Amino acid sequence: MEHAQIHALLVERFGDAVLDLVEGEQPRTVVAADRIGEIALALRDDPDLAFEYLMCLSGIDWDGYDESGKGKSVKILGYDENGVPETSDRVAEGDFGVAYDLYSYRHRHTFALAVRVPRDPGEVPSTAAVWPTAEWHEREAWDLLGIRFAGHPDPRRILLDENWVGHPLRKDYVMPGAWEEVPLAGRPYAADKFTEDDVVLPQPTEDGGPQGAPKKDDGDGS
Amino acid sequence: MAPELNDIGFDRRRDADEVPPIKSELLEINMGPQHPATHGVLRLLVKTDGEIVHSVQAHIGYLHRCAEKIAEGCDYRQFMVYTDRFDYLAPMNMNFGYALAVERLMDVEVPERAEYVRVICAELQRIASHLIAIGTFGLDIGAWTPLLYCFREREEVLNIFERLCGGRMLYNYFDIGGVRFEPYEGFGTDVLDFVNIVEQKVPEYNTLLSYNKIFIERTADVGVIDAADCHAYGCTGPVLRGAGVEWDCRRDDPYSIYDRFDFDIPVGTGEQGTVGDCWDRYMVRMREIEQSCRILRQAVAGLPAEGPVRDPKLKRLVRVPSGSAYTRTESSKGEIGFHIVADGGSRPFRNKVRSPSFCNLQVIEKVGRGQMLSDLVATVGSLDIVLGEIDR
Repeated sequence: MEHAQIHALLVERFGDAVLDLVEGEQPRTVVAADRIGEIALALRDDPDLAFEYLMCLSGIDWDGYDESGKGKSVKILGYDENGVPETSDRVAEGDFGVAYDLYSYRHRHTFALAVRVPRDPGEVPSTAAVWPTAEWHEREAWDLLGIRFAGHPDPRRILLDENWVGHPLRKDYVMPGAWEEVPLAGRPYAADKFTEDDVVLPQPTEDGGPQGAPKKDDGDGS
Repeated sequence: MAPELNDIGFDRRRDADEVPPIKSELLEINMGPQHPATHGVLRLLVKTDGEIVHSVQAHIGYLHRCAEKIAEGCDYRQFMVYTDRFDYLAPMNMNFGYALAVERLMDVEVPERAEYVRVICAELQRIASHLIAIGTFGLDIGAWTPLLYCFREREEVLNIFERLCGGRMLYNYFDIGGVRFEPYEGFGTDVLDFVNIVEQKVPEYNTLLSYNKIFIERTADVGVIDAADCHAYGCTGPVLRGAGVEWDCRRDDPYSIYDRFDFDIPVGTGEQGTVGDCWDRYMVRMREIEQSCRILRQAVAGLPAEGPVRDPKLKRLVRVPSGSAYTRTESSKGEIGFHIVADGGSRPFRNKVRSPSFCNLQVIEKVGRGQMLSDLVATVGSLDIVLGEIDR
């Protein structure tokens, strides 16, 4: 089935819960976050839809997204001395989004679904009970964006250390200057200036030892 | 979803009778992060009941570089080098997926010649990646020799790539709208020479490893992942095909020019045991090498002799119109997908990477339960994970 047909089917069945249809290269249906559970279950279990496979679950921080399409979204241009990001002028205030990309092996059709939730508290019901693969994807979205998934069976961080502070993919993320007493030298996008003195080249020792050039092969082989 | 003591699900039926029903104290052991059989810095926290795995929990992230954050800070072309570092055993496939994902949102025409070069690179890379998968899987099981032979053949691929773009491991060869360099003179001949060699070697590997009795004993009926599990846990690639599902992105959701080629999709048949066991997954890779050779022959024959290899109308700084799309391609490990949200500028607003091993590894927490500890090693090896793309 085409996306528009499935969208119409969802509107018929869930009415107000279907909020929007975003047109574009890949049409995407936006639904109410609090009803994502039952919609997900219907998409998986309806024999005409049979979306048994969740291809991808992406968390998106929409804060500062430029709707006009001119590429003027908030960009982190660099960090000041305290690690606070210096950003360009704001054009919008945004919320969190979660995008679901589904596929049905039985009918060989795809469907794109999305929810939008306000930044505070930024909570979406978990779909891990519907698609087990969502478990790790949702842990990743929590880890990197700080989106909470209500009813998630194992809501831990997945990629970062469990003691990490903050969620790096948030647009307002402040890069720490140090972590566990280890100073973090390189900050993203900040131009680090190196001097000649910083570059230490290995110097050959007198006997041409491990620091220097290898000894010439004296011919008796090895 | 904490596993309970009474539902271990010890699924090796033929061994179940031999194991006395004694419950010992659970022992918690770490497999990794530094362990030869985890194929990188993966830590599996295994609770064992004697020799039987009671539960297994995967801890990932040791190789995490937050590539998705980096993507937001550099322009679309600059990010290509980071895709190399996802699956460092198949960078061409990663490049391919990313290039297609960006091109989908843009108005760009990839020249015919570039399309053929791309397909040739992707298939050569698939063979190289599968050779490593086969070799290291043998190593996990205890067979040393096949690894050395597999590396010998892989070396030929690396030599071709080195002449093509200068890199031996990380290529950065694909570009938005084409490829970066003109293929060198004699590229097609080199590829055909390599195909001739590999097609002779595959039967040798089969004799040496695939139908070796010890190897079959260690892999048949072990780590069975059925089709329903694959769908639920998002397993793709050889894991999915090993479970008997005849599905391949290249044929069933065709991208680039794959619809022009004639090739078969090998699936697991349960030849030595159960459908979807380690042996099936292994054998699917072996047979995919043969199919890649078929594609390579057709692609080399169709490669246009002249023409541009990058869209000449495209500027150096690529701007992508506002929009978002999830695009997937078939890498050697499975489905690599990029969800790109563009805002009309030169940098992506969001670039989410759906990597195949990330999803394939997830199933280990289900399949690992109830196995023998040594079978867990075989199961992890048969999934053919690369930690670079799991952690990104």
